[in-house]
Amino acid sequence: MGTSRTTRIALTIYGIIIIAFLYLPLVSVAFASVSKARYLTFPIKRYSTGWFSEALASTEVRMLALTSLKIAVIVTILSMIIGFFGALAFARYQWRYRSLFQKLVLLPIFFPQTVLGLALLMWFNSLGIIPSWKTAIVAHLVWIAPIATLIVAIRAYSFDPALEEAARDMGASTPVILREITLPLLMPGIVAAGLFSFLLSWGNFPLSLFTTGADSTLPEWLYAKMVSGYSPLVPTLGILSVIGSFLLVIAALAGLAIYRALRPQK
Amino acid sequence: MPANPILRLKSVRKTFGHFTALHGIDLAIEEGEFFTIVGPSGSGKSTIIRLLVGMDELTSGEIWLRDKRIDQIPANLRPTCMVFQSLALFPHMSVGQNIEFPLKLRKIDPAKRKARAIELLQLLHLPASYYDKRVTECSGGERQRVALARALAFDPEILFFDEPLSALDYRLRKSLEKELKDLHARTGKTFVYITHSLEEALVMSDRIAIMKSGRFEQISDADEIYSKPVSRFVAEFMGEVNLFQVTASDGRIEGAGLIAAPGDATSTMAERITAARDATLMIRPEYVQFLADGQVADFEISGTLNGIYALGSRIHYEVKTGSGQILTVEKLREDRYDGSQGDTVRLGWSAASAHVIEDTPFEEKVA
Repeated sequence: MGTSRTTRIALTIYGIIIIAFLYLPLVSVAFASVSKARYLTFPIKRYSTGWFSEALASTEVRMLALTSLKIAVIVTILSMIIGFFGALAFARYQWRYRSLFQKLVLLPIFFPQTVLGLALLMWFNSLGIIPSWKTAIVAHLVWIAPIATLIVAIRAYSFDPALEEAARDMGASTPVILREITLPLLMPGIVAAGLFSFLLSWGNFPLSLFTTGADSTLPEWLYAKMVSGYSPLVPTLGILSVIGSFLLVIAALAGLAIYRALRPQK
Repeated sequence: MPANPILRLKSVRKTFGHFTALHGIDLAIEEGEFFTIVGPSGSGKSTIIRLLVGMDELTSGEIWLRDKRIDQIPANLRPTCMVFQSLALFPHMSVGQNIEFPLKLRKIDPAKRKARAIELLQLLHLPASYYDKRVTECSGGERQRVALARALAFDPEILFFDEPLSALDYRLRKSLEKELKDLHARTGKTFVYITHSLEEALVMSDRIAIMKSGRFEQISDADEIYSKPVSRFVAEFMGEVNLFQVTASDGRIEGAGLIAAPGDATSTMAERITAARDATLMIRPEYVQFLADGQVADFEISGTLNGIYALGSRIHYEVKTGSGQILTVEKLREDRYDGSQGDTVRLGWSAASAHVIEDTPFEEKVA
């Protein structure tokens, strides 16, 4: 059935409004980062990329970014591993307590992150562990690994169990099946889970606030600067962070496309 | 029972909780045979094949491959291979990689693997250029052939098939049935085929086993199963059939309005019916004749022509007898009966074309 002209116009307007609602705040941050003035006012009188140069040259910013990056990379790797095996238990195999596992593993996603952060801080304290960027990894994992599991599980649900059975029937052992069949077929889900994990960890503030101790991540620093001592470095770092995330997504999608294109010709 | 079976099942039983899927079945399959297990959904045929390839474990019993017991051997170490219902082609691999998969597992040199894959592509009537093609780009028939090529690359002692043609359209299915039979003849391998389609079983098989509720009802060649079924279930499962509940006394057969002419042929049948606990007289629709005035037959029955159905080269007639039973008569188009709906007709058939099913009650069979 065709769409009427009025409906098409209404849908276009609706789409523009949604896009504007999502991206306009980001645009204002982008303007703030290229305004020479300390505080953003419209119209912008003088544009400058000075804040970007200052941000990239700052040792403090570099240290903060490094801490955030360390946490995000380790959380990503661990989430991908936990997500892969968790998804097999969640969606691929039938076992006695699967239904209970499915409910419990998703529960942390629905906890308020501040409550989760506080609970983890109290737990670390009771165990005598001094909070640092390392404890933040554990905190991030508690929240992010279930999300990664869910993402890989969605892929695993569409997986035909006969593929593994066929491989076994032709002589493949369990590790070979995992390497040759299961892992490659779940790879798009694992990559997606890795991307989400990285971005969620990189931008996480509530869990980091409670669990990094003396260490500090980029989002924590941005928040601190917003509360006291605002500088245009705040929107500049925000924009750099968004650009980095965007490039990461593009790189991952390109990597996946190349992987798919090359694999059959190997 | 084959003299030198390649595969033997001894009292194989499989239960799932309180449900018994297989009731201690015995089976022997000859080397090089095309053996088909056919039955309705839930009859246990898929359970058997999963046990044979090692995907499931037996509850009790034994499976022997020649002189080696294999039911304790894991699936990946058994010298058998299966073509799955879904074909289970690896979507992330090319056609060539799929075919080479079992050879790669055996660490065979890549050049030799490729040569064998191309050889198998040609055997299955696929061009060598398909080697690099993605399996997701192949048609249904091509995917069937790739799955077969992969299974043959494994070089199994027995090749199992779990309803591999069930998802295909009619024409492609008919074409592949013939190809499979031809492939069986060319390779000389033992094929064990599972299907719910009677036609597939009849076209391809050397022997057919009919399954019902976890037991074999009958194991025989297609001709015998069709013309001499051992039970009403088998008779009905093998296609259109007319069945009469009959009794016999003093050499005369009675029941359902049948008139049996006295004679040697019918009296021999009467003896069998007398001896049986519960007897059914069976006649296939193609053996039933419309009798002209004065014409006689070993068995006769009258009725009203209830319906005429043209089925291409054949015509089906439905006749309602005095007892209310609907009989089916089948004629080739060139031998059509020139009658109209509502006509009173006399049907007849010879004793030689009829068959007595001595049905033992199911409870007694189980006992």
